Amino acid sequence: MGLRPALLLVGLLAGAGGGEPAIRDLSISLDGPRLLASFRLENGFSDELLARIESGLPSGFVYELELKRDRKRWSDAHLGAARLEVVAMYNAVTREFLVNIKHDGRLIESRTLQERADLEASMTQFAAFQAFTLDGASERERYLIRVRVELAPGEVLGFIPVRRTSSWVESNKVRPRR
Amino acid sequence: MALREKFERRRKDARWVAAAYGVLLLLLTVIYYLVQRGRDLPSILVTNRVLLFVLRNVNALLILIILFVLARNLLKLWLERRSRVLGARFKTKLVATYIGLSLVPVLILFFYASELLQGAIDRWFSGSLRSVLEGGYSIAQSLQEEIAERNGRDAARLARAVPAAELDTPERRAAVVRRLAGWRLEIGADFLALYDGTEFVQAVVDPSSGLEDLPEIARPFLLTAVDTGRATRVVVPAGGRGRLILAGATGTAPGGRSRPLVVVGTLLDPVTAARSEDLIQSYQAYRQLEVQKSQFKASYLLMFVLVTLLILLASSWMGLFLARRLMTPIQALAEGTRRISSGDLDHRIEVAADDEMAGVVDSFNLMTGELARNRAVIETKQRELVSANRTLAEERALVGAILENLAAGVLALGADGRVLAANGAALRMLHLREAELVGRPIAEAWADPERTRLAALLDAPAGSPPAQVSLVLGGERRTFEAKVTDLPDAGGGSAGRVLVLEDLTELIRAQKLATWTEAARRIAHEIKNPLTPIRLAAERLRARHRQGGEGLDELVEPSVDIIVREVGNMQGLVDEFSRYARMPGPQLAATALDRVVTEVLALYRDVKPGVEVAARVGAELGEAWVDPEQIRRVLINLIDNAVEATEAPGKIEVAAERHGESIELAVADTGRGIAPEDRDKLFLPFFSRKGRGTGMGLAIVHRIVSDHAGTIRVEDNPPRGTIFRVELPAGGRSGG
Repeated sequence: MGLRPALLLVGLLAGAGGGEPAIRDLSISLDGPRLLASFRLENGFSDELLARIESGLPSGFVYELELKRDRKRWSDAHLGAARLEVVAMYNAVTREFLVNIKHDGRLIESRTLQERADLEASMTQFAAFQAFTLDGASERERYLIRVRVELAPGEVLGFIPVRRTSSWVESNKVRPRR
Repeated sequence: MALREKFERRRKDARWVAAAYGVLLLLLTVIYYLVQRGRDLPSILVTNRVLLFVLRNVNALLILIILFVLARNLLKLWLERRSRVLGARFKTKLVATYIGLSLVPVLILFFYASELLQGAIDRWFSGSLRSVLEGGYSIAQSLQEEIAERNGRDAARLARAVPAAELDTPERRAAVVRRLAGWRLEIGADFLALYDGTEFVQAVVDPSSGLEDLPEIARPFLLTAVDTGRATRVVVPAGGRGRLILAGATGTAPGGRSRPLVVVGTLLDPVTAARSEDLIQSYQAYRQLEVQKSQFKASYLLMFVLVTLLILLASSWMGLFLARRLMTPIQALAEGTRRISSGDLDHRIEVAADDEMAGVVDSFNLMTGELARNRAVIETKQRELVSANRTLAEERALVGAILENLAAGVLALGADGRVLAANGAALRMLHLREAELVGRPIAEAWADPERTRLAALLDAPAGSPPAQVSLVLGGERRTFEAKVTDLPDAGGGSAGRVLVLEDLTELIRAQKLATWTEAARRIAHEIKNPLTPIRLAAERLRARHRQGGEGLDELVEPSVDIIVREVGNMQGLVDEFSRYARMPGPQLAATALDRVVTEVLALYRDVKPGVEVAARVGAELGEAWVDPEQIRRVLINLIDNAVEATEAPGKIEVAAERHGESIELAVADTGRGIAPEDRDKLFLPFFSRKGRGTGMGLAIVHRIVSDHAGTIRVEDNPPRGTIFRVELPAGGRSGG
């Protein structure tokens, strides 16, 4: 069993248990100046979302990423932010899911999938995804990112839209090396 | 801003309101049209998330705006009511009525329509509709799946039929390629392609299928087929006509070597493809609607809320508008009333109303104009009054100054007998201070015996001749001439009396002195006249006696006669004077004057030829309180003088008439008249223009008339002659 099906299985098991959407297994690593992030979304790919996607409505998530210095009490700890939009759309004629992934509004990946499991994995699991570039980063400092996901907006009283997000999750800290 | 401009603006407002209602109606019509049209719109458009988002937010925004406007109007109304602005209560009632009248049906309609809509939406997603659409979808999908399955089987069979080694050399590969067309015809496919792994080898197409070119096979499809041994895919062929259903299959040859990948494609004709796609799209649209069911409900609910609030807003606006329209002239009237009550009579209400209020406003303006004109008249009158008062005050001051500087004493008495005013001369004459006199009743101020006599004069009837009164005041006897007249009031009645006192003491003293001087001169003259003949007769006798007495006897007799005669004259003179001096006071008695006149005239009948003596007695003469003997003597003296002065032909007329409370006796002649220079001396003793007479006659007449408190005056009797008029009080007062 490959890594992806394994993660998918884990995800499905976790999803079966129910609960609030949450970012799990967030870790970062450095590949030169590139900061690679891996994480998965738990309890985010709901039946409701799948129904929306299969009905043909473009639906998805927005992952918010923030790069920080490891200085919790410093005011200049925040270094940057990125938005990762994952939108899926179903073509009932060809029976394919089209998944578009945009990084800060720029399309970085477009996939055509036929299986629901592949769809969920492509929308909720990210491995070694280049989130930021640490140009000019200091070796003396450690860096981390934090991630949360913004789900489809909810509604109060049936018509007042409410923003739904998960909690921020912080990654491990990395120190650039020359 | 003028009220008229406000009203014009208000009329424009009315047009704006009408326009707003028109726009609102149009908006509702458009909404209704869109809702109706929405049923025919493509599902993808209807279920567009952005559209729903926009609609929902626009709804929410409109609701907020309407709520804000509605709340603002109601708050404004509440504040006006709290500040007790005129008309706020009326506005509140009107708005409440409008909202109340519209709220109930609107709410009923809202809830009914909401329930109806919810039911309708629920029916959209009922099982029957879903099963129909699902069935159609399944049929369409089954068709594709069936074709894909068949193609897959054919591909797998062909893949097994092609040994992997057949593609190793160009010769074998060419042989396989030559067999492809036959295989395609054998399986009846529209498209057949052969791949070595994912490397394209050869493909054939049915020229009659409608495929214009070789379809592009996506690499993921090939990879899937290679990886899994089988893959299916639906693609749009070049030219976009129909759908190409592909199935790829490969396999593993004995020995573990991979067989070639065979892709078989069947082109679904455009009509069938379109129908199939329609079925699929319809089901997809249905699913999209189902997914967004709650959002649809919310949007429609919002729409209803919007319409409800619009109606409520329109009702409240209409209420406010009507109230404002009604209240504008009323407020203008109230403001006008306030301005006018504060004195601004030039204020006019300018409300160009065109209903019954116009009449009220016009009447108000007319009333205001009338008030302004009346005020102008009153102000003019007031100015005139002030001016008149000032003039009056000046005149009063002048009169006061004149009165103060008058030698005569003036007293004004009110109808109640109190002294209203007294000038300085009066106070000095009466030896009183102002505080002792002014403001007090005359009976109280003049309680002493002397002044009581003066007070008695105040009861004399109006028009009475002046009376002389002699009082002892301050130890000195003073003689006053008192004239009492009525003080007329505005209605022509009597508001009191005015007493004018003239101190005659000095005048009388001077007159007496002059009279006695004249009398002495006259007496001397009268005595001197006989003395001369007496002296001459006596001297003649003495001279004749000194000459020896020759002819003395003849001279004695005439000389003594002269002396005796002249002494006799002197005796008569002395007797007359003595009689004048001794004349007694009048003995007043009720006397029928007509009889006195008749008796006197009887003495003069035919006294002088050619001279007629006649009497004219008034019918209302009656009796008078006089001394009949003295009055008889007055008449005799006056008629004597008239007979003496009148030559024949002539006439002497004696008239006696009553004038109110006084009696007038007049003796008129047609004689030679009296020279003006003699008139002042007429009533002096011993004044006479007659050749004979003592000159005491008119002096005695004057004395008698004065003793009767009457007056005598001389007038010309045109064309010739003289009239002596004697005026006596009928009541019989006598001078002191």
